[in-house]
Parts: sequence; structure tokens; C-alpha cells
Amino acid sequence: MGRRRGTSSLEGRQARWGWVFVAPGIVFFSLFSLYPILNAFWTSFFNKKLLSLKPPRFIGLDNYLRVLSSEDFWNSVTATLVFAAGAFVPLFLLSLGLAVLVVSRRRFQRAFQMALYSPAVLSSAVAALIWLLIFDPRGLANQFANLLLSSPGIDRKWLADANMARLSTILVYVWKYVGYFTILFVTGIGKIPQSVNEAAVIDGAGPLQRFFRITLPLLKPTTVLVSVMILIQCLKTFSTQYLFTQRGAPLGPINVVTLNIYNTALRDQNLGRASVMSVLLFLLMLFLSWAQLRASRDEGEAEG
Amino acid sequence: MTPALLRRPAAARAPSGVLSFLSSLLTWAVLGAAALLVAVPLLFMFGASLMPPAEIMKMPYDWVPREPKWANFLQALAGNDGTWMFLRNIWNSLVVSLTIAATTVVLSALVGYGLAKFEFRGRNLVFMGIMATMMIPFETVMIPLYMIIVKLGMQDSYLGLIAPFLMNAFGVFLMRQYLLTFPREILDAARIDGCSEPRIFVSVVFKNSGPAAATLAILAFRQQWDNLLWPLLVVQREEMKTIPAYIVKFAAEKSADEGAMMAVAVIASIPVFALFLTLSRYFLGGSMVYSAGKE
Repeated sequence: MGRRRGTSSLEGRQARWGWVFVAPGIVFFSLFSLYPILNAFWTSFFNKKLLSLKPPRFIGLDNYLRVLSSEDFWNSVTATLVFAAGAFVPLFLLSLGLAVLVVSRRRFQRAFQMALYSPAVLSSAVAALIWLLIFDPRGLANQFANLLLSSPGIDRKWLADANMARLSTILVYVWKYVGYFTILFVTGIGKIPQSVNEAAVIDGAGPLQRFFRITLPLLKPTTVLVSVMILIQCLKTFSTQYLFTQRGAPLGPINVVTLNIYNTALRDQNLGRASVMSVLLFLLMLFLSWAQLRASRDEGEAEG
Repeated sequence: MTPALLRRPAAARAPSGVLSFLSSLLTWAVLGAAALLVAVPLLFMFGASLMPPAEIMKMPYDWVPREPKWANFLQALAGNDGTWMFLRNIWNSLVVSLTIAATTVVLSALVGYGLAKFEFRGRNLVFMGIMATMMIPFETVMIPLYMIIVKLGMQDSYLGLIAPFLMNAFGVFLMRQYLLTFPREILDAARIDGCSEPRIFVSVVFKNSGPAAATLAILAFRQQWDNLLWPLLVVQREEMKTIPAYIVKFAAEKSADEGAMMAVAVIASIPVFALFLTLSRYFLGGSMVYSAGKE
């Protein structure tokens, strides 16, 4: 058609088709990503209630002051940080260690990868449901702990005690995602040139030396990436905590920020304050992504 | 790998033969123990789904059901109230997850193709803009998204469940990267043959994006199969709930039978496990591609 009109060049026609193809993306991301995040910022300055007929009133930083001075919010921050730190350390160390062991084997590599990965396939709700029964007073967790510590008949209150509830949610998470991050490390290790390792073997370097002097430094891009991915994932945790509290676990110690946003918006119907928490969470995650980007860029400059 | 292993004995001193055997043994033991520990909750789920509650909570626990109690699955499907709502919720999960997998692949391919193979002013801006939305986690925009759905009157509907996930930035990224390497000569040849642009997309480009499309479809399906937060927000009616939301409701009922609970868990896991066992390379590979997108 363009050719018949004659005026439009080939480039012009191509450009038009380019816009046609990307148009759905522009519409979708404007409506479902850009608008909502701007809306969250905007709403955080208003006294806005869910299902309220009154028009929302501009109240400036009032929501921020209320949230930042509320015990409930800081409790959520603590709960989230305890969870993130508590899950990060074992997730990071275990997945790195397992990845090193997996790639050191020539046989059954894939079988081990699949076995370790399998919990990551489950829905988080299913994972939480399984562990709900394991953490039952008469369940496997008590039996296992009592077997290990030879302390028969003690109930460790996995879901009832404040600190144990924290530990329980962390356990579920580590179990579910350790295989996922192991795979990421396996890929990262696979990118390290084999010749470097072989040279070290010839020079008589032992396995530990090779790990700390060769694998770990060369793995740094993957290490940075996985660390940030684990942290961001942990900050978004919701399902386990939600299901556990629905089943009677105490809310306080595991009231992570996402759960608090959900409850503030739906139960308390306070959209303004829920938006404040959303904005703060967003800024924290943005900072983490930025830190990762900078770390990997420094890496690239140092190398090149 | 092999040359190094062949060379090792020559460089090694005498006792290291024993040492390397021992360290290899230790490695196998640690890996085996880790795999077993990871498998325990899964084995528990499958075993307990066929047990009466008394057997599940027995001390010490027996891993194999004494007599498989298949009635657990019947009760899981029928529900505590006998309304068979789970069947409807399974159907909802299938509809929502499959639809989203399909739209994600098609729309991401469309946009990715536009970004990869067409020259136009502002293309980089569009690409960077879409990539920037990856920095916006769903959890931080769920409340405004919920308000949009309320405004559009799409609560308690498939549309409301699906709309915010029709496509995603990672999908666009993946398809664009994949199509960047698509040979331009083929596209030009099709144009010379008089093929219209939409037709080129459908029968030349989309047809040939199999591996990337499969990776993306599986990723999108799994994410939606797992999605709990969004259905909790937009769905109140039992008939419109998806599996994760049903699980929450079922587990919260005090009268819930433990065996039936595990049967619910097994049923909810069948589709993803079936996909995992048949297409594991897309799962293991998929997480790698996904992480690459975040680099």
C-alpha cells in the first residue's frame, strides 16, 4: 500500500510497522506498570480509604509520619529483615557449596540438579501446606529435632512460639529455593574457563585452594547477581507467612512488609498508608538493584 | 575436564590416591544427604496423602501408608462442605495460567519482534522504558492495580485475574534477544514475495521462535499457578478462586482432615510436576535465562 502511495519510503514504512508491533507493549506497560507505581506515590500523600465515597484528601507527608512513627511498621521491618537475613545466609552458603559439589561430579549431575530443584517447582501455598503438618506438635519436625538432640517428648512449638515461627518460615523458604539458586551457581561455575582450573591442578593446587583462589574470584558476577536475587526474593515473601497466620501462628513475629501492606489495604482499608509502605519497599528494592548494577559494572571496568 | 583427570595421578603424590577416593566418597555422601533432606517433605506429602490423620500424626512416623486411603482424594475434591468447589478452582487455575502463558508468548514475541527487527526513532527509549518496569516488583504496585480492577468492575472475573499479567518485561527482553539473531534475509525474502508484515510475523517469525517461546510459556504458567497474592485481592467469590486461594481456605478450616490436606497438595502439584519431569531442561535452563535477564 505504501508503495502505491509513492510518497512513503521503505524506511518510513518499516518505522510505522515497528510502532504497530511495539504498540501493545507501550499500552500494557503504561497501564499496568507505570501508572500503578506513579499512583502508589500519589496515593501515599492522600487520606484515601478503600470503598469510601468521600473524595480522598491531600494530607502531605502525614501518612509517612504516621507509618514511620508506628510500632506496627517497625515491627514489620524487623520481621522482614530477620527473615531476609535468616534466609539469605543459609541459602547463599548452601547453594554455593552444593553447586561446587555438583559440578565436581561427572556422573549424575543432572539427577542431583533435578532433585535439589524439585521443591522450587511447587506452589508456595503447597509448600506452606506441607510444612504446616510437619510443624504440627505431633509432626515430623518435633520427632526429627528430638531424635537429633536426643530429647524425647519435647514440643518445640514451631508455629506457636514467636521466634520458632520465624525460624519455621525461614526453613520453608530455604528448603524451597536452595535448589533454584544452586542451579544459578552451577551455571556461573560452568562459565569459568576449564583451562584455568586445569592449570591450577597441574601446579598442585588442592581443592580448597582452587575454590578460594580461582572459583570464588572468577565467580564474582554470579555471586553478586545471586545475592541480590535472594535478597529481593526474601523481601517479597508472603505466602508462607500468610498461610501460617491463617492457621493460628502469631502474626507479630512474621508480619512481613508485604503481609502488612495486604492487611493495611484490605482489612484496615487504609490505602494511603498501604501506599506509603509500597513506596518504601519499592525504593529499597530499587536501591538493591542499583547496587547490583554498580557492582557488576565495577567488575566489568576492573576486568576490561 | 577429562584431560585434567587423566593428568592428576601423574602429578599426585602417593597418598593422594586414597585421599581423592575419600574426598570423592565424602562428596557423594554430602550430595546424597542433601538430596534426601530436600526430598523428605515431598515424600511426606505423597505418603500422607494416602493416610488417615491418626497415622500421619503417629509417633514415630511410618513413611509408607499401611493401607492406601484413596478416599482422601475424594474428600480433597469434594471439600469439607461437600460442594466440590475444588474442581471449579482447578479449572480456574488452568484457564488463568494457560491463558496468561499464551498471551505472554504472543504479545512478548510481537513487541520483541518490533524492537529487534525494525528501525524507528524512539526505539531505544521504548526498549529501556519496558526494561525499567522490571524494577517495579508486583508487590509494590498490587494495591493500585487492585484499584484499577475495581474501577473497571473486573473483580471476581477471569479478566481481572488475567489482565495485569497479559505480558511481562522479561518476556519482551527474552523474545527480543532471541529474535535479534533471526536472519534478516529471510524477512526480506518474504517481503519481496509480497508477504504482508502481520503474515511475516505469524508464519515466519513466530513459527520459528519455538525454544524461547517454550521457555517463556513454562515460566509464565508456573508463576501464575503459584500466584496467591493477586487472587486473594481480586477474588471474593468461591467459584472464582484459584488453587492457591483454595488451599488457604481449606487449610484454615479447623475441621480439615490432614490426609485430605495432603491430597489437595498432591493434586495442586500434578501439573507442574508433570511439566517438570517431561520438560526439565526448560525449568533448569529457564532459571538461567531468567537470571541472565536480571544481569
